[in-house]
Amino acid sequence: MLSAHSLTKSVTTSAGTLLILDDVSVSVEEGESLAIVGASGSGKSTLLGILAGLDTPTQGQVIFKGQNLTELDEEGRADVRAKHVGFVFQSFQLLPGLTALENVMMPLELHGDNEARSKAQSFLTRVGLQERLQHYPKQLSGGEQQRVAIARAFASSPDILFADEPTGNLDTKTGAHIIELLFELNREHQTTLVLVTHEARLAKRCSHRLTVEAGKVVDDPIPVDDFAPVDDSMPVDDSMPVEAKP
Amino acid sequence: MLSLKLLWRNLRSGEVRVLAISLILAVSVVSCISLFTDRLERSLIQESHTFLGADRVIKSSQAIPESWLQQARESEVRAAKKITFASMVFAKETMYLASIKAVTKGYPLVGQLTIADVAFSYDSDAVTVTDAIPEAGTAWVDSRLLPLLNIELGETVFVGEKELQVTKVIVHEPDSGSSFSVAGARLLMNALDLPETEIIQPGSRVSYQLMLAGKASQIDSLIDNLSPQLGVHQQIVDIESAQQGLSKTLTTARKFLLIAAVVGVLLGGIAIAITARRFAVLQIDQVALLKSLGARSNKIRRLYFFQLLYLSLVTSGVGLLIGHFLQELIAISLSELFTLEIQNARLQSYLLGVFTGLVCLLFFVMPPLWMLPSIPPIKILRRELDVGLLKQYWQFILGLLAIVLLIIIFSQDLLLAAGVILALTVLFVCSGALALTLMYFGGSVGRRAGSVWRLGVAALERNKQHSLIQMLVFALAIMLLLTMLTLRTSLLDEWRLQLPEGTPNHFLLNIDDAEVSEVEAFFVANQVETKPLYPMIRARLTHINGELPSAGVQLQAEALRREVNLSWVETLAQDNAIVAGSWWDDWQSKGDKGVSIEQDIANKLGVGLGDELTFSVGGLSLQARVASIRTLKWDSMSPNFYFLFSPNALDEFYPTYLTSVYLSASQKILLNDLLQSFPTLLVIEMDRVIEQIQVIVSQVSFGVELVLVLVLLGGFLVMWASVSASMDERLQEAALLRAFGSSRKRLLNSLWVEFSILGGCAGLMAAFGAEVLLLSFQYWVLKMPIALHWFLWPLGVVGGILIVGSMGVYACRKVTFTPPARILRDVNS
Repeated sequence: MLSAHSLTKSVTTSAGTLLILDDVSVSVEEGESLAIVGASGSGKSTLLGILAGLDTPTQGQVIFKGQNLTELDEEGRADVRAKHVGFVFQSFQLLPGLTALENVMMPLELHGDNEARSKAQSFLTRVGLQERLQHYPKQLSGGEQQRVAIARAFASSPDILFADEPTGNLDTKTGAHIIELLFELNREHQTTLVLVTHEARLAKRCSHRLTVEAGKVVDDPIPVDDFAPVDDSMPVDDSMPVEAKP
Repeated sequence: MLSLKLLWRNLRSGEVRVLAISLILAVSVVSCISLFTDRLERSLIQESHTFLGADRVIKSSQAIPESWLQQARESEVRAAKKITFASMVFAKETMYLASIKAVTKGYPLVGQLTIADVAFSYDSDAVTVTDAIPEAGTAWVDSRLLPLLNIELGETVFVGEKELQVTKVIVHEPDSGSSFSVAGARLLMNALDLPETEIIQPGSRVSYQLMLAGKASQIDSLIDNLSPQLGVHQQIVDIESAQQGLSKTLTTARKFLLIAAVVGVLLGGIAIAITARRFAVLQIDQVALLKSLGARSNKIRRLYFFQLLYLSLVTSGVGLLIGHFLQELIAISLSELFTLEIQNARLQSYLLGVFTGLVCLLFFVMPPLWMLPSIPPIKILRRELDVGLLKQYWQFILGLLAIVLLIIIFSQDLLLAAGVILALTVLFVCSGALALTLMYFGGSVGRRAGSVWRLGVAALERNKQHSLIQMLVFALAIMLLLTMLTLRTSLLDEWRLQLPEGTPNHFLLNIDDAEVSEVEAFFVANQVETKPLYPMIRARLTHINGELPSAGVQLQAEALRREVNLSWVETLAQDNAIVAGSWWDDWQSKGDKGVSIEQDIANKLGVGLGDELTFSVGGLSLQARVASIRTLKWDSMSPNFYFLFSPNALDEFYPTYLTSVYLSASQKILLNDLLQSFPTLLVIEMDRVIEQIQVIVSQVSFGVELVLVLVLLGGFLVMWASVSASMDERLQEAALLRAFGSSRKRLLNSLWVEFSILGGCAGLMAAFGAEVLLLSFQYWVLKMPIALHWFLWPLGVVGGILIVGSMGVYACRKVTFTPPARILRDVNS
């Protein structure tokens, strides 16, 4: 389904050339799930961006459904994203001026779907937000916002879903609910899932794991229980619409 | 359709709302100004045409052929004939040299004739406005003709051989002041009666006029058709040539109103540019999201283009509507205050509003949004990625280009455009340098000063570019306001200077040498101040340097075709200025008689210093050399002469005298006593002309004041836009400071420090820019002597501190009144 070969990504800064990814190869089959784990700044989000066709590698290639993404121009990659790819982001990326319903309708409308409204409604119902259709992001809690984002991601029936730290902005309890929802929908829709996380519980649920450290894939993965301790002792105020970043 | 949906959703979300309001306000301010300017200008032109009683006049010393009237009718141009001359009018045993005007049906074509059934009545109940002219066999007369002839209304008088019944008195005739040849009390009669008077004989001094009114294009083509028949005896008169002083005033007023319109666009444009930039910044996430969802760059470009197109169409429409109603309101109040018939606005002024909206869209809104489609999709994952929006200086250059374009289109005056651009450039260069210097010194001083000052200065220093732009914007807005304020007052002052209180409003001509002391005694007895008496003789210019003037010169210089008034005087009048040669004090006579000529007529005659002019005075020959060339002010209402001779040069001729006096309305009745004592005296009632000019001046200044209010609105719009553009950043900073325990009062004071410094510096720069702008406007456009405006400087600085300070603090009050936790949450979400 998706494979990457010898990906290298470097950027030139005033301090010299910075190597973000160094000879990374990875593959994931249809219906599987892959967790990319690693410390902050290890290059895992860059890898996700390249795999999803949001960015291009300096060297190497990404093959998606037999198509070499690295040979396509930005417009070609946009077409691939439009047809096959869904996203869930750490900071939800809901448009503040749009209601929950309109946010979910957005990708459908962008592709000219005539049933955008009814499809969006059914997906929001699926994620348990049938009472919140006309609410604006500011009126929703963090967990609710991420559920809207998940509904939006699945609404366009993607073949593959990329999730960047989907629970990173949520407290433990809410994060657990979101993980549940993500995997349920994944099963229902037979979607391939690639996610970036530093949370052990989430990584554990995936069929494959890839550990990135300083831009390189580490051969001997660190046991998932150890690399990201979860601090359950932190008090959580669910009444607050958005939780502060850790 | 998606773009329409997006626009609708964006509109709900505030960000587009600010942009929309800016666009609406800009278009409404501009369209209101341009509509109102157009209407006022056309109304004033129309009003000034009433001086002629027509839109255009063909003046002739020979009778107007009947066929011309026919041709005018065929060209759908309204036409009427007017024949004026001076003639004795007889009644029983009295007689009087009256000014006769014989007219055909339709007179006056422009303006209105006001008549009454009671003599000396200015009471609005007794007077009526009429479209008619006297019936054949009747005459309408000036009230004062009745006592002069010792008759009552209804009695008859003789004009030549024709007996006419006097049926009405004339209260006001629109074209009363259009010619200095009007003298003596008026008698208005029907042209049909003219042949029976048998007055007009070959050689009679009669002025024939064909009055024309209608569409300018039709009048032009009629005159083109008539031109083969027009000869040296005919002259075409329009408002420009009829009222030179007034037309200059009108041109000045028009330019002023145009500048106001451009200022309106400029302020609107700045507000739009600021809000558009903020809109663009807020759209970055949305574009990144759309891209991650698979939207192509072209699709995004289309989405935003159509959003903006719809937005500008809707806002232009709303703006036009608001502008229309606003100017309608102004027009109504204006026409209620003054008896001015306001003309309808032309379609092209509405188009100007739409065009302005389009220019704003292209030059102010589009540039900051231009880079949006090229935002890389990875931005959605890497928030820290720097997105290359259009550099601010490019946006600034584009905006400046737009303004230059608009100024040129609006004013069609390259000099004026150059003056505005020069001032803008100077302002931006100087203010940039000043702002940077301030931040450099302010930073070090501020750090050593108290903490409130430190906070305020730090706020300015933190984002130099942002502070610089804000300072420039404020400086520009204040500069324009200062300029408007000064222009408005100095424009009015200039007008007032031209017509001060007590300006002579009556010319007295034909005062006999022997009557001079009696006339002077008459005015002294009645406590009326007179201007000096000028001796005057009528003469005809016959030769230049001993030769007959060429046909070309004859055609150009009307002075060669009629008798002119000559005078002599020892001291130069205040409103005269020598431009070449020297006045009598320094003039070397070498035994010749000297003459000083008015500049325009010298040019038309093609004569220079030292040339010899020969005049014929009642058959006697008079030679004089050109000693100096003068300019003079025709609109000063003092006696003025084309030809002024050296003292004693005219001793051998028998002169009459001319003077001017100021008579208040209650003193006007004195004219009757005067004319009864001196029946040969001629009076020109300039008060009627002055009255009309003053009405126009007050109409214009009222309009200018209203326009200034609109421009002020634009200035506030800019300030509001620029403060709200920095709001997010401010909220975050204030929240942090509050979280660290800073008191509300401290925050408030630091805001005062920040905005007062900003405002004070902006005011200083504004005063400088306004001074440059005003001086160039004064020098090149108004052609007035240069004088510095000292009051601008304190006004600019104090005004800047007060306006920017209070506006800034008011706009940021949210910062000090919102709980810190809430701000941090809002900003982060």
